[in-house]
Amino acid sequence: MSAFERIFTPENMQFMVKGAGYSLLVAICALAGGSVLGLLAAMARMGKNKIARAIANVYVEVIRGTPMMLQILLLYLGGPVITRTLFHYVFTPNPILVGTIAIAINSGAYSTELFRSAIQSVDKGQWEAAKTIGLTHKQTLREIILPQAFKRILPPYINEFIVLIKDSSLLSTIGAAELLQRADVLGAKFYNYLLPLLFATVAYLVMTLTISYFARRLERRLAESD
Amino acid sequence: MIKAVHLSKHFGNVKAVDDVSLHIHKGEVVCIIGPSGSGKSTLIRCLHGLEVPDSGELYVNDKLVDFSKDTTKDLAHIGFVFQLFNLFPHKTVLENLTLGPVKAGGVPQKQAEETAIKLLTRVGLAEKANDYPASLSGGQKQRVAIARALCQSPEVILFDEPTSALDPEMIGEVLNVMKELADEGMTLAVVTHEMGFARKVADRVIFVDGGKIVEEGTPDQIFDAPQSDRLKLFLSQVIHM
Repeated sequence: MSAFERIFTPENMQFMVKGAGYSLLVAICALAGGSVLGLLAAMARMGKNKIARAIANVYVEVIRGTPMMLQILLLYLGGPVITRTLFHYVFTPNPILVGTIAIAINSGAYSTELFRSAIQSVDKGQWEAAKTIGLTHKQTLREIILPQAFKRILPPYINEFIVLIKDSSLLSTIGAAELLQRADVLGAKFYNYLLPLLFATVAYLVMTLTISYFARRLERRLAESD
Repeated sequence: MIKAVHLSKHFGNVKAVDDVSLHIHKGEVVCIIGPSGSGKSTLIRCLHGLEVPDSGELYVNDKLVDFSKDTTKDLAHIGFVFQLFNLFPHKTVLENLTLGPVKAGGVPQKQAEETAIKLLTRVGLAEKANDYPASLSGGQKQRVAIARALCQSPEVILFDEPTSALDPEMIGEVLNVMKELADEGMTLAVVTHEMGFARKVADRVIFVDGGKIVEEGTPDQIFDAPQSDRLKLFLSQVIHM
């Protein structure tokens, strides 16, 4: 029996595809969580409240200035130490859950700048024109500014999603059963890392290329008014 | 209709508008002329709260405008046409026109659309209703912008250099629409470099320099019998041949 036949059995394939599913899930949840954090932090950075602005600034700078690997380890390994010391509460964190939260916090810092620059890149004349036709601040944001910002944000935002799919592989180091970790497990089991890793390569590419394909189509549709 | 009393606006050390008082009456066409950087754009922007004056008072229909609050509602019946059109690029021409009446004025969508089509017909662009602004020429964009201002059923329309960003061959179509509005009795205040338009259409011409009103009068007075040296110099520079 060839190595190929031994490794790519239906069960092992299913094992790997499930890993890819977890990778995708981590990326989607991290992107969603990061978007909420990012939009809040962007509003805080553009707002008048000094304390909120300072908190948002520290958040963005600290996260962007340190490695994501470190942030994941801090939350996964450091989190239980904090709860033990402060609340005498001992627990074993779920690596997928805690890892996703860590990636969401990381992604939020990058989204902050994305949202802020997109909103601020909309021409000042748009605010003025909206004012002269009687729209309130909120209506202007909703009807005029955000739709235009969204169009500008879409390409880098999809890119962020693709980055997150790849970043989710970092969770293999804390034992989350995502795609790369499962390739690693199979490699160790069959004393052949090449084939499982190649499988993972193809799986990552299928996910990332599919997303960029649909992103391009969506972008073209949104570009109709340009 | 609009009365400005001792209006001033600084940008840093520059006095863009320096203690200007100005009264625009109903049915009147006022053209504001002056050199670049004279403060005429800032002045007209102050009349719509796009710049908040540092001092002075603004009255609309004898009602004092309170700049410490949101002035959007108080100034809703003043139309404004920008040099760079400022149409909403992600909305069709028709949506550009109906957005204000529907969202801010509470007009039913269908009724707003009927009015919008009527106004588009008036500026000769009814067939462009479902196009996006990007597909229009500069002159067409500005005519749409004028129609958008008309959708506010304005008592007065303010123009901030409406033809300065246009190619020469498109200036005429925009000025014609403005002239028609003037002929129909609409109150207009126009910051412009088009001296021919000012001379033909204006009831009153105001010459602004250094943030102050230097001279004002009928077109004949201003163009044929300028009093101040600054106005004489300005006219000699802008009117060639």
